[in-house]
Amino acid sequence: MQGTIIENLSGKKLSVLVSLLVIGQIICFLIGGLIAPTPASSQNILGTQCEDIRVNGSEPGGGKWFYSRGKGACSSVNKGNFDLDDHYLAHQVVYAFQMPIPRNNRQLDYSRWQQNLIGVLQVDIMYHSQMEIVPETRITLDARLAYRNKGDPDYAWKPYAASIEERSLDCTIDLKTDDYIYNCSVVPLFELGSLFHDYYLLNVRLPADTDRNINQGLGHVTDLWLTVINQNGGFTKVWVSLKTIFFPIIVCVLAWYWRRVHMLSRSPALLEYMLLVLGSALTFLNMPLEYLTLAYDMPFMLLLGDIRQGVFYANLLSFWLIFAGEHLMIQDSEQRNSLKCYWRHLSAVGVGCLSLFVFDMCERGIQLRNPFYSIWVTDIGTKLALSFIILAGISAGVYLMFLTYMIWKVFTNISIKRATLPSMSAARRLHYEGVIYRFKFLMIATLLCATLTVVGFILGQMAEGQWKWDEDLELEVTSAFFTGVYGMWNNYILALLVLYAPSHKQWPIETSDSIGEEIEFSRLPTDPNEMLSLTAFAGKTAVE
Amino acid sequence: MKLWMLIGALAVALPVLPADISRNKNRGRGSMWWGIAKAGEPNNFPPVSPAVTHMDPAIHATLRRKQRRLARENPGVLMAVARGANQAIVECQHQFRNRRWNCSTKNFLRGKNLFGKIVDKGCRETAFIYAITSAAVTHSIARACSEGSIQSCSCDYTHQSRAPSDVRDWEWGGCSDNIGYGFKFSREFVDTGERGRNLREKMNLHNNEAGRAHVSSEMRKECKCHGMSGSCTVKTCWMRLPNFRLVGDNLKDRFDGASRVMVSNSDRIRGNSNMITSNSASNSVHGHREGLGRKHRYNFQLKPYNPDHKSPGVKDLVYLEPSPAFCEKNPKLGILGTHGRQCNETSIGVDGCDLMCCGRGYKTQEVVVVERCACTFHWCCKVKCKLCRTKKTIHTCL
Repeated sequence: MQGTIIENLSGKKLSVLVSLLVIGQIICFLIGGLIAPTPASSQNILGTQCEDIRVNGSEPGGGKWFYSRGKGACSSVNKGNFDLDDHYLAHQVVYAFQMPIPRNNRQLDYSRWQQNLIGVLQVDIMYHSQMEIVPETRITLDARLAYRNKGDPDYAWKPYAASIEERSLDCTIDLKTDDYIYNCSVVPLFELGSLFHDYYLLNVRLPADTDRNINQGLGHVTDLWLTVINQNGGFTKVWVSLKTIFFPIIVCVLAWYWRRVHMLSRSPALLEYMLLVLGSALTFLNMPLEYLTLAYDMPFMLLLGDIRQGVFYANLLSFWLIFAGEHLMIQDSEQRNSLKCYWRHLSAVGVGCLSLFVFDMCERGIQLRNPFYSIWVTDIGTKLALSFIILAGISAGVYLMFLTYMIWKVFTNISIKRATLPSMSAARRLHYEGVIYRFKFLMIATLLCATLTVVGFILGQMAEGQWKWDEDLELEVTSAFFTGVYGMWNNYILALLVLYAPSHKQWPIETSDSIGEEIEFSRLPTDPNEMLSLTAFAGKTAVE
Repeated sequence: MKLWMLIGALAVALPVLPADISRNKNRGRGSMWWGIAKAGEPNNFPPVSPAVTHMDPAIHATLRRKQRRLARENPGVLMAVARGANQAIVECQHQFRNRRWNCSTKNFLRGKNLFGKIVDKGCRETAFIYAITSAAVTHSIARACSEGSIQSCSCDYTHQSRAPSDVRDWEWGGCSDNIGYGFKFSREFVDTGERGRNLREKMNLHNNEAGRAHVSSEMRKECKCHGMSGSCTVKTCWMRLPNFRLVGDNLKDRFDGASRVMVSNSDRIRGNSNMITSNSASNSVHGHREGLGRKHRYNFQLKPYNPDHKSPGVKDLVYLEPSPAFCEKNPKLGILGTHGRQCNETSIGVDGCDLMCCGRGYKTQEVVVVERCACTFHWCCKVKCKLCRTKKTIHTCL
């Protein structure tokens, strides 16, 4: 009879395999820490106040763009202070943000390796005792985004997106003194899922309308600051190289694993299916689709990335549930070995992931159409988003309860089994020992991985940026965390696929005296069908 | 118009130039650039373009050779410095509006210091002027960097092992850091001529550093989460430039508690505290480029005049001699006196009539003023006010 590889593997081989994986893990961590830069970097851009000469206040056309550098740059408004005479009208002041800003005497341009662009806005409002603004001020922005590529003339901006957005400004001030600046929260402005073009230009107007009460309570806006955050090209390169390495490895191992399962005389068990699905989900996550963004404009990459991660984590969570369930060692099972009996547990995972998916579709999905969209700006949207997130949180709680309950049950069963082990026949004992060993091995590995992930996450949050060990060795903690965790789950599943694949080692034939055993699981063995229903890897029962 | 006259006057004054400088040799050598604030309005500066090699002669004259080189090599910088100098003057005058010395500036004349001869004395006021101008340049340069009007702003590569040379670096690891460049540039530009060889130069250096330290310590950190589904698995943070009024207020506080220093026997190395000052501000960029001598310039510790006081910290202002009396007009020191200044009858502070008028007494007038009142602000750029006629009692020093 066949068991899984892990039970039949000698301690030496196992330790070699495990140490190989650990070395791979350390390499992943160091690649992130030493080679990769931080995952993202930002540029802080001060808006140039351009003067829009159109007098009648007609709707600005898509073709007119205001930019601060290059030929045909706008003439800037010299609006040092508020004037008593109506010098400018609201629509005549255009805040122009031309990105990226030049550095080291060089006009920089965005590279497609930089993947995505997120813009947040900060509004500097000056305090005047004669006019205090309310803590929750609505601000209406007329935002237009344009792009240009290398080789285009300086004026050849092409429209990318435009929208009129309303945001909420949360402003406080500690010291109410004239000419101090309110401390306003940052306003998320746009998210671009692809950074396909070389230069971008954002034109922001703050339209004013007394009748509809638009931007009336805004106070004295002195400056607009835009912070654009892009993924670092170096990080993408390291990340994609890791993917390129892991992708073929996992695919090969997956193929090998499935061939192995197919070689069995029986049809594959539920857990074997689960492992296959888990491996496929990882392959989906590993697929280095980022290469395509170098050639094609793929604004859905942010969304796709979320979905890929979501699918993987959903599968991983389901796998743990089913793994624990299949190791309960209770033989009350007619409908065991099917997903049906796990519907309650799995629905927790399903509901959680689905609500996160809907939330993501509402945010990043709609951003595909309008990059300035955010679900958080309207009250209904905020409530909706919060309810989805709370729902996901509740599902996570329910899931954890289910999982701990099942694991606790497995452990009680294990201790019961332990007590009866000496009285069992050799074959039966081997079988149970195998089950217990398999379970414990996975438990330890999983716990280790989960703890490392959590600890890494907390460290990354605390360290903020780099950790310095000595003058020469600087560790990029956040990147190391990402590559480390990514490598770890890859290694974890790699190990699962290899170690939990069916083994075809033969065990010494023993005479079975199990029929007469007087323990409560006396329905156990002898016929091959029953073996299937046992556990997925009904191992070394050896009842030949 | 004014500018042309200036240039004309300059042409006449040019031959006298060397003599002029030699007379001022030991006094405030590095501070002549303040004049840039009045050398033509910033609007008159040529537009930012790398092709500008021509420099307005009025500006040219205020700058030292090294400063000229810096301005030539970094197009756009002059405008930012001029803006900074103006900002410093406005701030100084705001902070000192109620004091006997009200930070008055002279009309710009060649060879004369913008703030008058008061800077020849190593007093508190001088300390403040140095600190606020240095802070303003740091602030203004950093601001110009984020506006994109200076092309040569550097990247913060201190955390990266690679050499900061290539466009590929931007692609690889991004480029932020505006304040670092402002800090660095301010050191290069403002500290020219202050070599730290005598006590006065050390005082200037210390106060310049203090000004910069106040800018970088008031920076606020902002963060944005942008991980999976917008969660905080990935968080990017950046520093936000402080409002300059805040810097001015802080410096004014330090002015009130400034410490008097004297020559110390041993120049203790204070490399550590120096590191803290420039902390985020690309100190290492400096470290690589500067020779040992340059680095040594900031490694000194001033000794308090009163041995019971503790020695001044990086953010403290230091001075050498007590301030002169600002009560009477003193052409030798360029002091205007407080004759004709308005004072506050009820205040017991420096702006109160007793102190402000130095006991000379004051006259009280009742005037009807037409003032703006009940103003409402309308976005954009509009203030709607009522005009109110109010009777006011004004006290003026005799």
